[in-house]
Amino acid sequence: MWECTVVLLIGSAVAAGGILLAYIVHKRRQVKSIPLGEGWWGAGEKPLSEDDTIYPFKVQTSDKEIKDIHERIDRTRYTDPLEDSCFQYGFNSTYLKKVVSYWRNEFDWKKQVAVLNKFQHFKTKIEGLDVHFIHVRPPHRENQKVLPLMLVHGWPGSFYEFYKILPLLTENHDGVVFEVICPSIPGYGFSEAPHKQGFDSLAAARIFLTLMERLGFSKFYLQGGDWGSLITTNMAQMKPQCVKGLHLNMFISTKGFKVMFSLMIGPYLPFLVGFSREDVRRLFPFFEKNVWDILRETGYMHIQATKPDTAGCGVNDSPVGLAAYLLEKFSSWTDLRNRDLVDGGLERKFSLDDLLTNVMIYWTTGSIVSSMRFYKENFKSNPDNRVDAKTGIFVPTGLAAFPGELMHCPKTWAQIRYRNIYSYTFMPRGGHFAAFEEPQLLANDIVQFVKKVEEF
Amino acid sequence: MLTEVLVALLVGGLLYFLVQRSRTQVLRTEDGWWGAGAPPDGGEDITIRPFTVSTSAEELEDLYRRIDQTRPVPSLEDSHFTYGFNSQCLHTVLSYWRNGFDWRRQVDRLNQYPHFKTTIEGIDIHYLHVKPKTVPEGSTALPLIMVHGWPGSFYEFYGLIPLLTEPSDPSHLVFEVVCPSIPGYGFSEAPHKKGFDSVCAAHIFHKLMKRLGFQQFYAHGGDWGWLVTTNMAQLEPRSVRGLHVNFAPPSNPGLPITLSIMLGRRFPKLFGFTDLDIERLFPCMEKLVVESIKESGYMHIQATKPDTVGRGLNDSPAGLAAYILEKFSTWTSRDFRDLEDGGLTRKFSLDDLLTNVMIYWTSGCIVSSMRFYKENFGKGLYAPHSKIPVDVPTGFACFPNELMHTPKLWLKQKYRNLVAFTPMARGGHFAAMEEPQLMAEDIQNFTKIVEKKAL
Repeated sequence: MWECTVVLLIGSAVAAGGILLAYIVHKRRQVKSIPLGEGWWGAGEKPLSEDDTIYPFKVQTSDKEIKDIHERIDRTRYTDPLEDSCFQYGFNSTYLKKVVSYWRNEFDWKKQVAVLNKFQHFKTKIEGLDVHFIHVRPPHRENQKVLPLMLVHGWPGSFYEFYKILPLLTENHDGVVFEVICPSIPGYGFSEAPHKQGFDSLAAARIFLTLMERLGFSKFYLQGGDWGSLITTNMAQMKPQCVKGLHLNMFISTKGFKVMFSLMIGPYLPFLVGFSREDVRRLFPFFEKNVWDILRETGYMHIQATKPDTAGCGVNDSPVGLAAYLLEKFSSWTDLRNRDLVDGGLERKFSLDDLLTNVMIYWTTGSIVSSMRFYKENFKSNPDNRVDAKTGIFVPTGLAAFPGELMHCPKTWAQIRYRNIYSYTFMPRGGHFAAFEEPQLLANDIVQFVKKVEEF
Repeated sequence: MLTEVLVALLVGGLLYFLVQRSRTQVLRTEDGWWGAGAPPDGGEDITIRPFTVSTSAEELEDLYRRIDQTRPVPSLEDSHFTYGFNSQCLHTVLSYWRNGFDWRRQVDRLNQYPHFKTTIEGIDIHYLHVKPKTVPEGSTALPLIMVHGWPGSFYEFYGLIPLLTEPSDPSHLVFEVVCPSIPGYGFSEAPHKKGFDSVCAAHIFHKLMKRLGFQQFYAHGGDWGWLVTTNMAQLEPRSVRGLHVNFAPPSNPGLPITLSIMLGRRFPKLFGFTDLDIERLFPCMEKLVVESIKESGYMHIQATKPDTVGRGLNDSPAGLAAYILEKFSTWTSRDFRDLEDGGLTRKFSLDDLLTNVMIYWTSGCIVSSMRFYKENFGKGLYAPHSKIPVDVPTGFACFPNELMHTPKLWLKQKYRNLVAFTPMARGGHFAAMEEPQLMAEDIQNFTKIVEKKAL
């Protein structure tokens, strides 16, 4: 009698525990989404109706524009660098003069504009802003699975970063080929800047979802790095039913017990916390590699997240100032060791033509200030308390971990938020500007990830 | 037996600690060389050469052309000064700068005091030397060095100097004033080598005072000037008769400071906190941490990438003005961030503000001025001087809108000979320029106390 009751009690406890566990697992797996929200960013009052046509756009320049920039370059007032300081104090002036000399005398902006126009550009009005994008269709569509893909850039990049990877994505990969959309984030390049406060990554995500809808895509892939990573993640959180797969080359973890614990135990018992040898190599010594370097490299983020109008003012008048400010990132964020080189290692991975074309996009559109404001809009309140930080990502995700990226995020940390990781690849080389620097490697990883999702 | 040994050790340790603490500690440094290349074989040129600020038609034309070519970006609707310098306000400032501001007249104003230059450790040091016209019978003028900060200059002291060299009240002391420019600022040559921090500047200024024949002098400073004059007092305490500062953030928070942050709100009397202290320090997360983060972006980027951030500002007068004047707005009162015009002309005239900006513009010193942040913060926050106390008589003028509020308890951790602590009626970070009368009075009172004690 007594044993029966005990057995019954234990049995029901186990059953209850089992039900609870199943419920928790089910809840964790359940695809959650974040609200879409709404917004309007044009000047003044919102009109009754909005024009939703898509109209073609061509990048243009003029002799006047080129003459103006040449005059400003000629009037640059340089300051000598400290002896032996290389790139430790920022962009070295001696090397800057060489870059500027090329810019002034050999760089051909008209030729680069023709390069920009080799893909088709468009603009359309969404939430009060002219949103610019390029639309690249694959040349051969018969017998192919044509998959729509949106690539989103970051700061201080632009849609131009994708120009090398675009041909690789629009060519056939054993029956898979992409139709690519590369928008410019509002406030960057040829996309109109918001006129109202509050334009954060959630707003950008919603606008890009509207764009895909307007173009007639109901299901598509997303790829992003830097701000593009956050925006595409938000897109996958807002409409998971539309996002077939999300591929990121930059991803950060949330803080929390799991992360802290693995930081403490990781160097000694990596396997216990899910670290591979490569994870250990990239993460430790943690303080030296991560905390100090992050402090040394985030001054720009701090000032842009607090006083963007002040920080951007001067660089909007000085082409050389703008070039130094932007190109410093292309040096340090490709490889932090570049800080100890006299030329910042800039031309090792990029051509001056490509680098300056990106700078010219910021210059000719005068978008540096609005591009900086994006930092303030996203960091205004504690980002950890925002709805997207507290919600997971359930769409199939592919992560490409580049060794030169600013902060390494092991798979076990990524899994805290990205709950459906299909692939996690340790890339052999490359830094923050992956698409720009290693287009083949990135393209390969995107293709292998998509093939997994499409079940090839 | 064991207990006796332990007690003896404890007592011994305590005695050692107390003796160590009370012993005057001196900061040490060596001579540096900051000129280009290697130091020359012969001795250094120690002559003092008179200097006149000058301008030219070309300089003005170049400035006007650049102002005309500003590419303005409109501020977000209703953002005032919360995103930085407001575009509408900038337009007003640029308009005045271009059409109303008279630089030639301001240059004459700058030259009303005698300027000099002299080479020390390989670089040209610029300074003003203002001797009083009349000194009362039976007394001498007291030498006083005043050091500016960023983004200020020697010009900040122009309203204060006459009140000290020619006070209207006959009972007031008379001063002989020396206002140098920190190397890398204004008309002082910028160092060519890495490593030029506040201690190096203090060392150079000691040499300057000696070269001018002063064995003992008073020192006053705010912003970087506070640290440079503090270092001077730490390097050669016997030379610094008295130290007067209006800004003194704690560099080495020890136990008393930490305790006061944790318990100060509950037990203000225990820490000697006044109502103003409570208001300015608590809630401490918001007032100390969040506010600091909001306002220290410039410091973070200047302490890491000065050459990058300063680059554009040296070509764009509008950019330079926005960058510098934003501080003259926000650091005078935090509430000015919510004003469309940033409250810029409430306490300062545009003429004075633009003259300061012109000093940075015409000398092209913005990049070198920013490097000072990297040199000082680059070694981490715990440089040797941050651990050494200051024993020379110190006076502190506590202005209500200063960037960082320092209550008396915190000051005393470092300034062990605090003879005067004055809560001032009004004023912010640029106190000497904003409230010269109040500042002059406090310097007077402080000096009188020190002079009386010396008798």
